[in-house]
Amino acid sequence: MTNLIHSLLFGILLALSNSVLALEVIEILGGKASEIPLAIIPFEDTVNTGGQKAHQIISSDLNRTGLFRPLNTQGISNPPSSDININYTKWSAMDAQFIVVGKVEPEILKVGNIRVTWSLIDVYKEKTVLTMRYIAKKSQYRAVAHKVSDHVYENLTGSKGIFHTKIAYVKKVNDKKYSLNISDFDGFNSRPILNTTQPIISPRWSPDGEKIAYVSFEKKKPVIYIQNLKTGKRTLLANFKGNNSAPAWSPDSKKLAIVLTYNSNSQIYTINADGTGIKQLMRSNAINTEPSWAPNGEDIYFSSNRGGSPQIYKVNIVSDEIARVTYEGKYNLSPSISYDGKLLLFLTSDQGKFKVGIQNLISNQVLKISKGPSDESPIFAPNGHLVLFTYKDYGKTTKIGTVSINGLKRLPINVGNFIIQEPTWGPITN
Amino acid sequence: MKKSLLLLSLIALLGAGCSSTPMDSASEPGAANYYGADGVAVDAATAEALGLEELRGNTLLSQRSVFFDFNKYDIKGEYLDLIGAHAQYLINHAPARMIIKGNADYRGSHEYNLSLGQKRSVAVKEALNSLGVDDSQIETISYGEEYANQECQADACGQDRRADISYEVE
Repeated sequence: MTNLIHSLLFGILLALSNSVLALEVIEILGGKASEIPLAIIPFEDTVNTGGQKAHQIISSDLNRTGLFRPLNTQGISNPPSSDININYTKWSAMDAQFIVVGKVEPEILKVGNIRVTWSLIDVYKEKTVLTMRYIAKKSQYRAVAHKVSDHVYENLTGSKGIFHTKIAYVKKVNDKKYSLNISDFDGFNSRPILNTTQPIISPRWSPDGEKIAYVSFEKKKPVIYIQNLKTGKRTLLANFKGNNSAPAWSPDSKKLAIVLTYNSNSQIYTINADGTGIKQLMRSNAINTEPSWAPNGEDIYFSSNRGGSPQIYKVNIVSDEIARVTYEGKYNLSPSISYDGKLLLFLTSDQGKFKVGIQNLISNQVLKISKGPSDESPIFAPNGHLVLFTYKDYGKTTKIGTVSINGLKRLPINVGNFIIQEPTWGPITN
Repeated sequence: MKKSLLLLSLIALLGAGCSSTPMDSASEPGAANYYGADGVAVDAATAEALGLEELRGNTLLSQRSVFFDFNKYDIKGEYLDLIGAHAQYLINHAPARMIIKGNADYRGSHEYNLSLGQKRSVAVKEALNSLGVDDSQIETISYGEEYANQECQADACGQDRRADISYEVE
């Protein structure tokens, strides 16, 4: 089982010109930045690849972030395909602050390959920001488009894009048919890495990108496996008496926090990824579960009902000090921390409706970014700027989607008409 | 071999008029068949040691589910008789092994519901402990919301907030 994303990538990656970068870096945290209007012009395309076109893929990528407003470029006459002779007045009149132009053509030197040349142009400053060329296999058409999105995003926000990453999720076909699937972040190129007759929950991608830990009920009770994505082989990490669940990787991918019960209630332990060195983190008569390792490697966030209703706490694994983190609302669950350690993502019950909440860990301000009623499993994109979660309207099937951290854009990810739940997001790889 | 000797001595202890019981009565044609968890027939001696007849015949012992309120795991008064009967059964039949499986409705996260289901199974175990049942006779696990009705609304979800009692031999 080879993992395409690690082996793919492009024959040649050329930065033809790279004029002064870092334009207006958008202030994302707590900012009320309005969406930047930009036009992704349909690429001049002489290669028949079928499916979505590059400009559609790029527009759809950038639209998800809630930071950009891709303008409708359909039916535009004489669309430019390079940064030569740009009619700035025309794009300015359309309200486009930036435009992306490009060309897809067969690569003459390598049969079966395509050559994609594209530019990001600043309409206000009337200059080219960036021009790049990719040579890639025809089958990597979508991946190339996602790479363009990544570069546009990085140039305009100062942060890395996540459009070339992978996600994993659980697909439930029926009560006896479950699979753990991996796909591109937008749901394309999906494939199962595990098929089973029993439920799978809590998949978590290791920060080094090599493994996924998950909980399977195939032994008639929950146990934790770690599956290597390159070899497809898996090992049993925890099969102790009682339940074994809620794996959470340490930032260096060497350890996990897990939850065990033995013959009592759920408690958090740490364990080496090879199954050795198990250690109980704290003892309490309350539920302690859903550990999530902070990027500093020292704090583990978790949910607990020690104060009555479930709230989010953190424990410092060096000092053993415990502190409560959430105070707003009576029912807060499922913590995860952004990769810069500044934002807490969680599930909150708002008058009986489950919504995704974000708490700024510096100001402690809380923003609800989804509308419920049955949202679950929120998890950050590896740049912390987008959230993957599940949603379900009453009586409907659970689906996955993304929501921007400013709450402006909630969009589905279509991976087929099944129950889709328990998503996780892979790291940025190059 | 040791096990069957133990069972024979159990029969000797338990049975009235067992002196006339043939040693191999379990394998005699016409003997009742008892089926264990894997569909394997349990011999009559084991069945008697475990009091399987009683387990099936007793109206309280045949009740196996304890229901809970939303996000709660305290046991309601109406289940005390049921729990009392199972406690007495376990005390009377030391070889019996109980498995308690906790469940939760679909609302909230999968992992928290797994913990909540576990709390429910532990609550039943602790109620049994308080009546004198030894921990070694009970195993608690949780299925969380994994086998729950994912489309229930309001009161209908109450069916999923429960702990189920089962016995290893069944």
